Amino acid sequence: MTRPDTISEAMLHSYVDGRLTPGERVTVAQWLATDPDAHAEIALWQRQRDAIATLYAPVATEPVPARLDPHRLAAARIGRRNALLRMAAAAVVLVGVGIGAGWIAHDRLTPGASDLLIANAVNAHALYVKESRHAVEVGAGDEKHLVTWLSNRLSRKISAPDLSSQGFTLVGGRLLPPALDVPAGPVAQLMYENATSDRLTVYVTAALPGGKRVASFEKRDGLDAFYWANDTITCTVVADLPREAMQPVARAVYQQLTWR
Amino acid sequence: MQAFLDEIEAAVPALRRYARALAGDQDMADDLVQDCIERALRKSALFRPQGPLRAWLFTMLLNIHRNGARARRRRGIGVPLDELPVEPAIPAPQPSRIDLADMARAIDRLPGEQREALLLVVLEDMPYAEAAAILGVPLGTLMSRLGRARAALRTLTGTTPEPRLRTVK
Repeated sequence: MTRPDTISEAMLHSYVDGRLTPGERVTVAQWLATDPDAHAEIALWQRQRDAIATLYAPVATEPVPARLDPHRLAAARIGRRNALLRMAAAAVVLVGVGIGAGWIAHDRLTPGASDLLIANAVNAHALYVKESRHAVEVGAGDEKHLVTWLSNRLSRKISAPDLSSQGFTLVGGRLLPPALDVPAGPVAQLMYENATSDRLTVYVTAALPGGKRVASFEKRDGLDAFYWANDTITCTVVADLPREAMQPVARAVYQQLTWR
Repeated sequence: MQAFLDEIEAAVPALRRYARALAGDQDMADDLVQDCIERALRKSALFRPQGPLRAWLFTMLLNIHRNGARARRRRGIGVPLDELPVEPAIPAPQPSRIDLADMARAIDRLPGEQREALLLVVLEDMPYAEAAAILGVPLGTLMSRLGRARAALRTLTGTTPEPRLRTVK
């Protein structure tokens, strides 16, 4: 098709897309009437428009799923933020119980040894809770041997907390290599399970140099991690539990593993 | 905040429509829209966008889509094997009609930048300047993408604007 100079290709697109002034429309329409090739081309573009509209325009009139409601999403967002704040507050209360002064509670730790320990604890949790036959190295049937062995390797007296009041029984435990770049030595990992097969792990190391007292609740990779450290051990409890279930478990582990 | 949420809500049907045409799949499209709204809520805590909200939302949706498309390419998940074109499209028996399934496939096979431009103009019926702003390209670039997209659709759907000679068997 040969276009007169007065009609640009952009004008043809504008014609099809309804973006011309009435005057321009007339100019283009008059030319199209004289050029069958151009007319056929423009008619095809219009059919493309119609086909695309037929295919997808109805989507906009479908009922919008609830998960795409901005009000709901905004409310959920605020809920999540408040839950985090509540957890941070709970962590503070938790470490405050029966301990007295001297604790430093962070709602978020600065990157450092503690941070690496939490990351390693979450990783180890994610790796081993998926195992059925090889979840632990030494089973709960051999608990006495387990705690003696782990205590020896950590040079700390480790006991397996009794979490039966929280519905969790000991599956067993394993020894893990030291976390990279963390001067805390080898790791004892204990695993627990409840009636609905939810698993939680307790990740214990010897204290970090300095033995600073720290506590924190963190959410990482979708898992909840409660971490604390004192001058004897560091301990991270990792689980994927509702908040109401996580709190008493973390408290029980904390109370039973803190001794002096 | 309420007015802001209402404004986003008003844009959701169009975002879903555009996402569906971009992504093809309903769940993937709605995931895109949800990501887009969540990102908008997160960002709005820091600043309110200047200018029309619609353009801002579409720009964000496109960015999320492109990132996702990159990730899918990295994972090597693309067009299922049986959807790869094995033979050239055959001209439709009636050149005046475009088969809808052919059109859906043709849109999928357009280069990304042509598909994005075409759908903003044709499906969302946006003014050229707004579409160009959303895509972050000059107006001339938008027009040339539009031209190439329309030509490519013609080839891909096998429709010809003029009667063609039929081969005699």
